[in-house]
Amino acid sequence: MKSAGMNYADVNPADSGAGRLGLPEPSVIVAARVNGTAVTEQVPARLSAADFLRHRLGLTGTHVGCEQGVCGMCTVLVDGQAVKSCLMLAGQLDGCQVETVESLAAEGPLSPLQERFRAEHALQCGFCTPAFLMTATALAADGRTLTRAELREELAGVLCRCTGYEFIVNAVEAHLASAAAGEGNQPGD
Amino acid sequence: MTDVSVREVVAPAGREHAVLGVDFPRKEDDRLLRGAGQFTDDVDRARSAEMAVGRCPYPHARIAAIDVSAATALDGVLEILTGAEVAARTRQIAIMRPVPGAPAIPHFALALQTATYEGQPVVSVAATSRHIAEDALELIEIEYEPLPHVSDVLSALAPGAPVIHPGTLESNLLVSNPQGRGDAAARMAEADVVVEGRFHVNRVTGLPMETRAVLAEWRAGAGALTVHTSTQAPHMMRAQLADSLRLDEGDIRVVTLDVGGGFGLKLGAYPEDLLACLHAISLRRPVKFVEDRNEHFRATTHGRESVHDYRIAARSDGRILAMTDVYTNDLGGLNSPFGSSQLSTVVFNGPYKVDDGFVERRIVVTNKTPIGAYRGYGQPEVNFAYERLMDKLARQLGADPVELRAMNMVQPGEFPWVNPVGAVYDSGDYERCLRMAADAVGWAAHRDAGHEPRPSDGWYQGIGFACYVERTGYASSKFLAARGSRFGAHESVTIRANRSGSLDVYTGVSSIGQGSETVFAQMCSEFFGCDYDRIRVHTGDTGSSPLNTGSFASRTVIAAAGALADACVRLRSKTLRIAAHILGVPDPGELDIVGQAVQHREDLTLMLPLSSVFERAILGQGLPDGERPGLDETSYFEPPEAAYSFGTAAAVVAVDAESGEFDVQRFLMVHDCGTPLNPKLIEGQVLGGLAQGLGQAMGEELVYDPETGQLVNGTMMDYFAPTACDMPPVELMHTAVPSPVTPLGVRGAGEVGCIPVAAAIGNAICDALAPFGVELNRLPITPERVWRAVRDGARAST
Repeated sequence: MKSAGMNYADVNPADSGAGRLGLPEPSVIVAARVNGTAVTEQVPARLSAADFLRHRLGLTGTHVGCEQGVCGMCTVLVDGQAVKSCLMLAGQLDGCQVETVESLAAEGPLSPLQERFRAEHALQCGFCTPAFLMTATALAADGRTLTRAELREELAGVLCRCTGYEFIVNAVEAHLASAAAGEGNQPGD
Repeated sequence: MTDVSVREVVAPAGREHAVLGVDFPRKEDDRLLRGAGQFTDDVDRARSAEMAVGRCPYPHARIAAIDVSAATALDGVLEILTGAEVAARTRQIAIMRPVPGAPAIPHFALALQTATYEGQPVVSVAATSRHIAEDALELIEIEYEPLPHVSDVLSALAPGAPVIHPGTLESNLLVSNPQGRGDAAARMAEADVVVEGRFHVNRVTGLPMETRAVLAEWRAGAGALTVHTSTQAPHMMRAQLADSLRLDEGDIRVVTLDVGGGFGLKLGAYPEDLLACLHAISLRRPVKFVEDRNEHFRATTHGRESVHDYRIAARSDGRILAMTDVYTNDLGGLNSPFGSSQLSTVVFNGPYKVDDGFVERRIVVTNKTPIGAYRGYGQPEVNFAYERLMDKLARQLGADPVELRAMNMVQPGEFPWVNPVGAVYDSGDYERCLRMAADAVGWAAHRDAGHEPRPSDGWYQGIGFACYVERTGYASSKFLAARGSRFGAHESVTIRANRSGSLDVYTGVSSIGQGSETVFAQMCSEFFGCDYDRIRVHTGDTGSSPLNTGSFASRTVIAAAGALADACVRLRSKTLRIAAHILGVPDPGELDIVGQAVQHREDLTLMLPLSSVFERAILGQGLPDGERPGLDETSYFEPPEAAYSFGTAAAVVAVDAESGEFDVQRFLMVHDCGTPLNPKLIEGQVLGGLAQGLGQAMGEELVYDPETGQLVNGTMMDYFAPTACDMPPVELMHTAVPSPVTPLGVRGAGEVGCIPVAAAIGNAICDALAPFGVELNRLPITPERVWRAVRDGARAST
């Protein structure tokens, strides 16, 4: 992840606040690769990464639940790491690779992970689901073997109020097992 | 038209595969798994403004002056509303489920002279961005004069407590509702034993992961308001908005696509719904409001807080003679549309047969966030009281708590049975669930082993039970009308045929995670006969769905089953009449719908694809004489009676008497929701309810500082909500006794999970610590409270 994303040299003169009663609204340029596509956007400096993905890029699968990094609804992958995008500014995505839930099955059939969630009834209202899917994607890429208790710890960064977690843990556990067995790329496993 | 008796709904003959009782994959899942669900904040409109709300920081304050001049001058600020303007432009927010006999405490979307809870909306700002709207709030000067406040529900009744609504009430007691049968006082006097306790039920929040959100669009020329909002009851929202905004219902369309959890909190209009509409109307541009989580903790209704003074009188052989409960519910600072929960009264005696009973509900105003509906609506609260007392009674009598419960339960041969407040229990086998749970957790061996600490670490082992009944659905609109409720007990559907052979089902029920799109499609497939995959269920749009009630009170499937059955039978009958005409078959009864075709029951060469029958009907071409064109049906159904779900939960807990630490090693629940239509979805509902019940039992609590009246843990960081690591191992078992009073024999399933959890865990810990004489009567049960109870021994038992 790039360390210094904020660049006040990019402040939009129209928003400088000179001669106005309003507060100045500095902006920054973000150039990132999101779900494999290069994007360049000028955004307010105080825009969060989650709001940038949702309302600038239209990737509304990433949700916002608390804006203080606790509920985990906004979990996405930034340079392969599962992060809470409500705690990042859009400017910090500059130069980064970002993956959101929309990357899992852009067109056509669901991915094996998504199919597993469906088969295990691991979602109800679906608001937390993208965050669990992205967390599980990072866990699968990491490749460590986890006990069920360790898996619960790993999933504890995302809250769910509908399911009681049991079926989510089942789905991720099954997915990690088949991913480890090299079946991860078979659709509908 | 066929008049369908819902109790005799019969599946079409000749079906190869069962559609009901099967774990169909959910209709909702594909879009949600792709991140393509459409929650309210996912809807963006060009040129939309955003709204932010300024809230009273005090629990009770007079609003002396508001100066918006600096904020008005801020670049990007479009409109600022204060209480006076809102009062001029709207009517007060209607109470949809009043407590019988309670005077109205009217309130507008913004506080006028006085604010009665921390977080009450006082000003609202519409601006070109949320950032600017919040900047503007910082520039608004509001002069508050703090008033004496009261946050404790019992202190609010004490003489000399500040009266929060002096214009309407003489004290903080909103209303008291005594009800009962027989002579409970006489039974108490003659009983061999009377046990009693004061049970404190914690104030919690349902905490849906999606906060509330609203997007209001006004088409000025057309006088039409479209409101996207996250609600469990879109048609009810439309009625409330029309009422408060002085618009005709026909001017308003409410659209709710996906809802990120409701749990009762998203019922009825909130101030912000009205404010967004007001801004949209005056600005003539779309206005969006998305509640942030800190607002959610203060501005979205809380649940549960109550104090129950419960007594049980029994003979020395264990037979219960009388049960009484005088309970005090916290209303908060205002009466929200669903207000204080009411079902603690209806099921106050749980599954136990008792002739003499008395229950009194007292509703008390405090300076806290208003209480509203929350999953269970009074039933988890009262269950904690009577089930904890059943164990106390067993200890006092030296009886086995399982046997004591069993001997007092309403038995299968005794239904319908009317409890002391008039609730008609429809059917069930309560004792079987209890026995199944006791066997599954090895109760007999545990009971006989005594209460020695385990050798490995000195922890004590306990098992606790909690049995429950849950009122699901409403006993018809007559029941509701008698209580002044401003909604009905029915559900409705419109089913429309398409030329392709597919069916559209339109319902006002919104998708809040309960899976109603799936179960409605299953029922439609069963009743009509076509493929599940060719049915699309359209939810939550008042523009296309018939007027209905909404998704709450564990009633949707009960009521919708009847409406779907009736609409499908009529649609099917017309389809077969037209097909018979085309095929030259004299009697449509000789035909059947099998998958996507109509075919003759005997001569299989006589068949037509559904698509061609539907097309004829839609075009009106070549129909039988007298047959009208078109192929759609709308039906309404109101269940005549409520159905009672039931079951038993059992917890196995290990407790360290020295530290108070405890570990829930097993949690088991045997539940009966009648005929299961999609067993996996029911399991999901029960598990989710259990998680909320466990949160309430072991950690969740909204804490108010008694000195300042401030909510001290109103952030996601400070409020405990269970994570994946906080859940104990859970096991589910079920029985399936069909209800005789509902279509298909279904009972509600949405709320049962939260009812018995706290009592089962409390009973297990008290069982483990029986040598110490511990009684845990206050929720949540934390290690500190257990440690104190051990330290205080019998003194903690009140």
